[in-house]
Amino acid sequence: MVHLLQILINGLASGAVYALFALGYTLVFSVLGVINFAHGAVFTIGGYLTYLLIGGAVGANGLLAGLQLPLALPFWLALGLAGAGSALVSLVVEAVAFRPLRKRQAEPLLSLISSLGAGVVLVNLVQLLMGAESYSIPSSTLAGLPAALNLGGAQIRTVQLLLLLVATLLLVLLTLWLEGSRGGKALQAVSEDPVTARLLGIDSGAMIRLAFAVSGFLAGVAGGLVGLSVSIAGPYFGIGYGLKGLGVLVLGGLGSVPGAVLGGLIVGLAEALVPSDFSGYKDGVAFAILFLVLLLRPRGLLGKPLASKV
Amino acid sequence: MEAGQRSLPGAALAGALALAAALAACGPRADDLPLQVEGGVPVGAVLSLTSNANAYGQDQQIGLELAQAWHQKRRKADSPGAPELSLRLEDGGGDEATATQAFNLLIDAGVVALVGPTLSQQAFAADPIAQRRGVPVVAPSNTATNIPQIGGFISRVSAPSTEIAPLSIAKALELNPSIRRAAVFYAQDDAYSTSESAIFQKALADKGLKPVTVQRTQLNDQDFQNQITGALRQTPDLIVISAQAVDGGNLIRQLRELGYKGSIVVGNGMNTPNIYPICQAYCDGILIAQAYSPELDTPMNREFVALYKLAKGGAIPPQLTAQAFSAYQVVAEALQRLNKRQPLSQFSLADARKALMAELLSGRYDTPLGEIAFSPDGEVVQQRFHVAQVQMKPGSLNGRFALLP
Repeated sequence: MVHLLQILINGLASGAVYALFALGYTLVFSVLGVINFAHGAVFTIGGYLTYLLIGGAVGANGLLAGLQLPLALPFWLALGLAGAGSALVSLVVEAVAFRPLRKRQAEPLLSLISSLGAGVVLVNLVQLLMGAESYSIPSSTLAGLPAALNLGGAQIRTVQLLLLLVATLLLVLLTLWLEGSRGGKALQAVSEDPVTARLLGIDSGAMIRLAFAVSGFLAGVAGGLVGLSVSIAGPYFGIGYGLKGLGVLVLGGLGSVPGAVLGGLIVGLAEALVPSDFSGYKDGVAFAILFLVLLLRPRGLLGKPLASKV
Repeated sequence: MEAGQRSLPGAALAGALALAAALAACGPRADDLPLQVEGGVPVGAVLSLTSNANAYGQDQQIGLELAQAWHQKRRKADSPGAPELSLRLEDGGGDEATATQAFNLLIDAGVVALVGPTLSQQAFAADPIAQRRGVPVVAPSNTATNIPQIGGFISRVSAPSTEIAPLSIAKALELNPSIRRAAVFYAQDDAYSTSESAIFQKALADKGLKPVTVQRTQLNDQDFQNQITGALRQTPDLIVISAQAVDGGNLIRQLRELGYKGSIVVGNGMNTPNIYPICQAYCDGILIAQAYSPELDTPMNREFVALYKLAKGGAIPPQLTAQAFSAYQVVAEALQRLNKRQPLSQFSLADARKALMAELLSGRYDTPLGEIAFSPDGEVVQQRFHVAQVQMKPGSLNGRFALLP
């Protein structure tokens, strides 16, 4: 029983991160129909910004070697500001990698490739400025809290429990905003039918920018939280999450917010169910599930059928 | 103009290109050309400057830069006639394909020898190319078994795990003779980690310890909750880890956070100060066998440490930097001896590569690692190894590898 509870906790903790990451992908895909491959780089930047804002110093390499901001914000404030900074970066990605191609009505594949290019440039820029070394948000950030908690005999690291709670809170807030606010409904309208939305007076360009900003905010917060949990493992640390997030996005159904959450939790739980001695194969198991689901349901678990182009 | 027709200038251009290609085919092969000496003898280096292995490449790049500066200074002071070297550095990424591409590029560019690649996994793919083309390779950080055995042109200054890894197991048992239950973790998608883990497991078996569990991870893993909770159910009192710096550092932090209090022995992949910010205070106490000690009291090492401290604001040099420095030094000194025997300008590129390899293997070198030489198959012969224990500065993300007696 304790073992099953441990598996459930392990799966939910990993799945929440995957879901949070995939949500950013989903928001952009829902309005543009294109995957933003720069999302992993924005996630990385969120981690670095959080580190700098809590007063972390840049190491001995990179152009900013030795830099330390003259402030040391509390972690949660730094995390929010890092989310805002990441939202700005995401807007720049939209302006540089997506908008020019959209204006020329280029093939979606070109936008996908240009976002990949933007992501690579961002990661290289981070390496140029900050060096290749790893950075870590000190464990003392959560001073006063124990390193791990015992829940009915199952162990969970406190930081992972916090990650799970914050991810859940953000998912609830995002759902409430999408379903209950004018902005959220306008975004959904553009996502479902941009032409009709424009006829109804909705500025689709503004909605696309909004989707990128929210997506960037989620990526930045996720980057800061993961940085707190497992350190910022160099400029490439968002890449692994990018691949997993892509799988989650497809598994849940392209463009579906509840699908991203469901997909994230399924992948997390599937990984946790792999016996620990064989955990090295957990990625294979996760992607095998994705493969099977796509065979049976090509649009993903909660994806809508594609509109007929007649 | 109709398709198929060609203007006169166009035809002339096509003809000229065909003639040039034919002449090029008839001309001498690049390997038969004289070795380029003017402007410096070209030496190539392939390091992981990008990818998840970039922290290693960064440490190694500093080692090569310091070695270049040191060699130039020494050349001017002691041997003005010695050949100048021109280092060409290429990014090897963290995968086999990028390293292979970089090897090909540098070999085609006419380098006389190569330093690299960073990872053993890459060496198994890239070294056979250098071997086929007859280009000497000095590996600065490959520790997996059978690297020099790839061929007669492959050597290394990085002592193999077979020599180093068992020392830390012996030391752990010496410090705590009551250890009975060992758990093993290793990154199964990494040639070095897999190879080193087999050596660790044999060393444990030699001491009568059969691992109570073997947990397989992957280099890109960052969350080990599943593997750790699985392993801790077996109540180990020694955990032995073969991983790279980032995944290994995270593993240690999470092991300690989840309540593991026993001894931890780690392998060479974590032999870098880059682990300090990852496992933070939890790095304290881990045991590691090393091929380099900054505390080694020889004139060469004192000079190297002083150069590093000057360049890096007083920091202590890590092993990877010392080994990269040594690799460059070996190539430079072997070329210098070869030049004394016969001026390098008289060699063709292919002959220079062959003669350099023979010279390289026959020499003895006073390096920051201590005095080293090579076995006939290119394996480093090194006298001094060390076992260190990480001591973290309280309340800081910095620490040191403190040598154990």
